Amino acid sequence: MSGALVVEAGQELPARVVGPLTQADVLRFAGACGDFNPLHYDTELARRAGFDAPIAMGQMTAGIVAAWIADWCGVERLAEFEVRFVAPVLVGDTITLTGEVADVVSGDDGREIARLAVVAAKGETVVVKGRASAVLAPAMPG
Amino acid sequence: MVDVVSFDVERGKVREFARSTFAVDPVYTDRGAAVARGHVDVVATPTYAVVSLHFRNQREWVAQLGLNIERVVVGSVRWTYRRPMVVGDVIVGTRRLVKDERKPGSGGDLRVLTLETDFVDATGQVVVTEENVVIERPST
Repeated sequence: MSGALVVEAGQELPARVVGPLTQADVLRFAGACGDFNPLHYDTELARRAGFDAPIAMGQMTAGIVAAWIADWCGVERLAEFEVRFVAPVLVGDTITLTGEVADVVSGDDGREIARLAVVAAKGETVVVKGRASAVLAPAMPG
Repeated sequence: MVDVVSFDVERGKVREFARSTFAVDPVYTDRGAAVARGHVDVVATPTYAVVSLHFRNQREWVAQLGLNIERVVVGSVRWTYRRPMVVGDVIVGTRRLVKDERKPGSGGDLRVLTLETDFVDATGQVVVTEENVVIERPST
């Protein structure tokens, strides 16, 4: 991604709404990553484990959040990404991704870095809290 | 060391992974778009290294660490990027146990493991480092 990305502290990322997640969505991710734990597709088993529906993989939510951030800043700018799993995401849930530029700092090499704080939530319930760093300029070679 | 995994960054898999994580940037699917951005080919989404689950023997490392899989949850994951993975990359991931701690929880001690994987390309450069915090809940 050429040129500088210009952002400022407090700026909000454009929100993304994903869902309602279908069983097919979760199975598509299972196929992509290779996680075939039955908790992700066996409704009876999920109920016995205390969930109302099969649960999405944490890595699926993480991947959705990471892809959303990278769609915004460009994947080659992403220097760090971190997520903490707070609550499960179930088949049928709709998740809303929101975030903002916490601050803009100078990295060790002098490049400007935007530090982002992001959240994925279903309704009022936070499912994932995340942080990311994006290199603003010059862009990292891919 | 816990385990070593190797995989190729494949065009179809990159597309499949991008679709399954609702990515929209054409840089994951359109070679022309990727080249226009300065890449040699289509690039992978940020968490693509998760495809290594296909190639890891889960039972083996869980047994090796003495964990009960039914009580294990992933607490957090952190990735540090040097560059995106690009189609054609041949990646080797070496996973190490860097911390094995016990922390008090409401129902007894939690076992908190920190696992770190360096994903290295064919030239020996680390492309991505992944740090996973895995929590084993106490038996009830």
